[in-house]
Amino acid sequence: MAAAAAALRGRRFKWSLDLGAAPGARPRGAAESRGPLGFAERQLGEGGVHESDKILMEKRCWDVALAPLKQIPMNLFIMYMAGNTISIFPAMMVCMMGWRPLQALMSLSATLKALESSSRRALQALVFLVGNGLGLALALYKCQAMGLLPTRPSDWLAFVTPPQRMEFTGGGLIL
Amino acid sequence: MAAGPRTPLPLLLPLLLVLLPLAAAVYEDQVGKFDWRQQYVGKLKFASLEASQGSKKLVVATEENVVAALNSRSGEILWRHVDKGTPEGAVDAMLIHGQDAITVSSAGRILRSWETNIGGLNWETSLDTGSFQGAALVGLPEAVKYVAVLKKAALSLHYLSNGHQKWVEHLPESESTQYELLYSRGTGVIHVVGIVPQSHLNVLTFNVEDGEITRQVRVAAPWLGELQGSCAVVGEAVLVCVDAPERSLHLCALDTEQDMRHIPLQSMELEFADDFQARILATQPSVTSASRTQFFLQLSPSHFSLLQYKQGLLSHLRDFQQAALVSFATTGEKTVAAVLTCRNELKPGSSDGLHAGSTLEDARRQDSLICSNQTYNINLYLVETGQRLLDTTITFSLEQGGAKPQQLYIQVFLKKDDSVGYRALVQTEDHMLMFLQQPGKVVWSREESLAEVVSLEMVDLPLTGAQAELEGEFGKKADGLLGMFLKRLSSQLILLQAWTAHLWKMFYDARKPRSQIKNEINIDNLARDEFNLQKMMVMVTASGKLFGIESSSGTILWKQYLRNVRPGSSFKLMVQRTTAHFPHPPQCTLLVKDKETKMSFLYVFNPIFGKRSQVAPPVLKRPILQTLLLPIMDQDYAKVLLLIDDEYKVTPFPATKNVLRQLEEIAHSIYFYLVDAEQGKLSGFRLKKDLSTEEIWEVAIPTEVQRIVAVKGKRSNEHVHSQGRVMGDRSVLYKSLNPNLLAVVTESTDTHHERTFIGIYLMDGVTGRIIHSSVQKKAKGPVHMVHSENWVVYQYWNTKARRNEFTVLELYEGTEQYNATAFSSLDRPILPQVLQQSYIFPSAISAMEATITERGITSRHLLIGLPSGAILSLPKALLDPRRPEIPTEQSREENLIPYSPDVQIHAERFINYNQTIFRMRGIYTAPSGLESTCLVVAYGLDIFQTRVCPSKQFDVLKDDYDYVLISSVLFGLVFATMITKRLAQPSLDPSPPGGWSQTPLFHLAGRYL
Repeated sequence: MAAAAAALRGRRFKWSLDLGAAPGARPRGAAESRGPLGFAERQLGEGGVHESDKILMEKRCWDVALAPLKQIPMNLFIMYMAGNTISIFPAMMVCMMGWRPLQALMSLSATLKALESSSRRALQALVFLVGNGLGLALALYKCQAMGLLPTRPSDWLAFVTPPQRMEFTGGGLIL
Repeated sequence: MAAGPRTPLPLLLPLLLVLLPLAAAVYEDQVGKFDWRQQYVGKLKFASLEASQGSKKLVVATEENVVAALNSRSGEILWRHVDKGTPEGAVDAMLIHGQDAITVSSAGRILRSWETNIGGLNWETSLDTGSFQGAALVGLPEAVKYVAVLKKAALSLHYLSNGHQKWVEHLPESESTQYELLYSRGTGVIHVVGIVPQSHLNVLTFNVEDGEITRQVRVAAPWLGELQGSCAVVGEAVLVCVDAPERSLHLCALDTEQDMRHIPLQSMELEFADDFQARILATQPSVTSASRTQFFLQLSPSHFSLLQYKQGLLSHLRDFQQAALVSFATTGEKTVAAVLTCRNELKPGSSDGLHAGSTLEDARRQDSLICSNQTYNINLYLVETGQRLLDTTITFSLEQGGAKPQQLYIQVFLKKDDSVGYRALVQTEDHMLMFLQQPGKVVWSREESLAEVVSLEMVDLPLTGAQAELEGEFGKKADGLLGMFLKRLSSQLILLQAWTAHLWKMFYDARKPRSQIKNEINIDNLARDEFNLQKMMVMVTASGKLFGIESSSGTILWKQYLRNVRPGSSFKLMVQRTTAHFPHPPQCTLLVKDKETKMSFLYVFNPIFGKRSQVAPPVLKRPILQTLLLPIMDQDYAKVLLLIDDEYKVTPFPATKNVLRQLEEIAHSIYFYLVDAEQGKLSGFRLKKDLSTEEIWEVAIPTEVQRIVAVKGKRSNEHVHSQGRVMGDRSVLYKSLNPNLLAVVTESTDTHHERTFIGIYLMDGVTGRIIHSSVQKKAKGPVHMVHSENWVVYQYWNTKARRNEFTVLELYEGTEQYNATAFSSLDRPILPQVLQQSYIFPSAISAMEATITERGITSRHLLIGLPSGAILSLPKALLDPRRPEIPTEQSREENLIPYSPDVQIHAERFINYNQTIFRMRGIYTAPSGLESTCLVVAYGLDIFQTRVCPSKQFDVLKDDYDYVLISSVLFGLVFATMITKRLAQPSLDPSPPGGWSQTPLFHLAGRYL
């Protein structure tokens, strides 16, 4: 921004109309007036700002870490609403419920990077993991409740091969 | 939480299939697309050809109890009336009078008159009981007004116009005398001749007007044994009888004489054949006038003489040697004799390849004179003189090794130049009808033996040359990388060639009008289609004729007559090698067993081309009781057939060393079961290493109480995809799939409606163990049964409730499988659970079969042939013993239909819409290459072929699938994506028109503020 302003400053206009300047105000070229709204030339104080920033950072990291856990009540509600019938919307919801934690776990390294600045990184990472794990478990439970998990012998029935025949028999009414 | 089916994913697909609407009728435009029907009438008993050139029909009555009219130009059925299939419906006599056909049927109980143009019934009357002897039209000098019916003890006269009885008269001495001959010639009297064998003849003369016996004469004839055949009436009511041992004729005028005149035939140099009952054949052109004075005397099977008895004088007109058949025909004033002769000499047929059993031949030697090249001539002779009429020869040939002509009917007409023209209807031994025209053109032919199909198999068609080439490539062992590569290239090239030829043909056909395109199927262009929907139907008929019929069109591609098959033989057809083993030809084996001599022989043939196989079948010295087709193969991929004879010895076929070695290895696991219905005995045998057997079990069912009517095992080619059923709580109920299970049905000998019962026994064919037995009280046969997978469905008549009922039995192992890897009947400690349910069916049934598919994934339907001629496709799910009376949540999840006792017949479930099949005897089902589709052939008097898709066509796009719409949408979307992609691309131009860019604007705004 500053570089752009400098570049502009260096530029020679053939003519220019300054609508911002009130009549009788400071003559053009005064550096103070050239910043955008809220722009301060003067640097802000170091210490206090740094402190609050850190707290904010910490807060933010906790937010990231706790996000999956905060999702769970919502998921529970959705699960309840969706019911156990297999139709397109419940199926999509279950998919999403399962997919989101998975996605989060897959991009775990990126999340950890975001948490790098925090002092209680390990705990936050753990909470994040646990939250996602819970989300996943919830999705699995929902799948189980909907009967989508092949956990019973009936699910593997199609793959049961017919038993081999040990005896051959034939005959019938005498011709 | 909402209650709903919690079904796991692997189950979803079959579930969806079940949920699809279960059956649907065909659409109008699908009629005749996949199905065809062929109608038959059966072997002719009586036929009448109108004596005019322009006549279009011939009226026939057949052994199958059918009265029909055939179009004489095309051989099509104009109309057809099918009576009961039992002897009750038998047509005993047919008389033609003008446009009416009068038939006597049901052992002389019913007299009917048919209008022959449209086949309507003019009238019908029932006659008194008494065994039928004969019927004749009775004419007064001016008109034919009555029909006379001769019974064992009475003669009745009926009006032709309405069937009312004019009079009925008892015949004197009817206990001792057999009245057989009925004769009138428009003189107002009816002559009835009866015989007391080896004693005398009784000649009665009735007055037509009041039925009074005007004359009764006893004529001594101690030499005469029977009337039919050896006596006939010629001229002015002169009875002629032949006395073969004496080599003489006896004559007696029925009006006047009291004794028989004896005329020796030695002077005429007529030689009688030994052991042949000489016969006389006379003709009466019109019932209002006298018979012809000329008659045929048959002296030996192939020797006929034309004789004349006129004014007391017997003269010999002509001799016919080598004649096979003779017949008279009349048009106007002219009466001709038609003689069918063999063009070459008749020879006793023996060295012909179709004979297998030598004992059978001996029995048939007497009438096994065979025309050597199967070429026959028909000639006409003027009866008055015996002169041959010029230009009246019809020459025709029958298939080599085929059947002899058996019946000859002649239709004579006068041409414009007053010469005689004629057509001939010839029926051969194999029930083929040929309609011939001068000078030897076959106008049409009908294969009437197909009205009696007894056994049927469907065989895959062979691959095309190109496909076979590819298959062959995989079959052979590698001969070098380069060689394989070159072979692959060459076969691909052949495929490309075939494909371009196909494309070219399509293009070529597309330009022709649709009606001209005929995809004629002949034996040369036979090839398997993509989905193996087209197959070869090998049909065995009761006459001993085999047919190869192409299943998609019903074209007969080959036929083969087995001459040494006697009527009433039993057949068993087996496919030993399918077409899958190129280059080995497919091989079918037919076991024929004669009912009387008990001797059997094997006929081995190629089911695709109908040719007799080069493989020599074993000569069977002993009567064969049963067969067993093993899944083991010899080195030529032919399945091994075991034949068990009456000494319980086993003959394998083929019997190569390889096979014998394999047999020795697995002999301990081969078992036979034999069911002797007469003695009520079921017995099981085990094969020993030396190919003898030992009896290991026997079950006796006392014949005084019940008799065995049906035994059914499972089909060997049946696949069961699912080993169990998923219950509502997602556990598995395993099916009890015992491949050795037999269902035995018995009927009680006591047929009183209070005490009658049927019994059903489920037995293990290996151990003889009775797994389940039940007795259904107050039930009566005939029982129809289907046994498949783990269920048995049978149908019977409930005498108490007076209705037809179905009972279904299902066998389950429970929630645990005893042994999931191998099934042995010898190791089954736990008896299966048997579930049972019964239903009311609103109709009797005539045949029943279950659909079968390649992998057994498709849900099963029962195909039920109804007496009305319809085939009902009934989902097996409706006959399910687990149908709950009170539906629960679990049963709903299983998709079980709540139990309701009645099974309804919905007309939209008829797979043959209005193509009714008369007197259905069986339904045959075969899997096709498509899992969804099952091929069905129903046979009886008619043959009907179609396809059924019990779970709808889930694996094929529909015919009316909108390819255009789908492809245009697809292309449209692709284009739309391309265009929008192009539009969405960021412009390469650095600044938009006007030179606005973000930074100056932002800057500008900032400055402004």
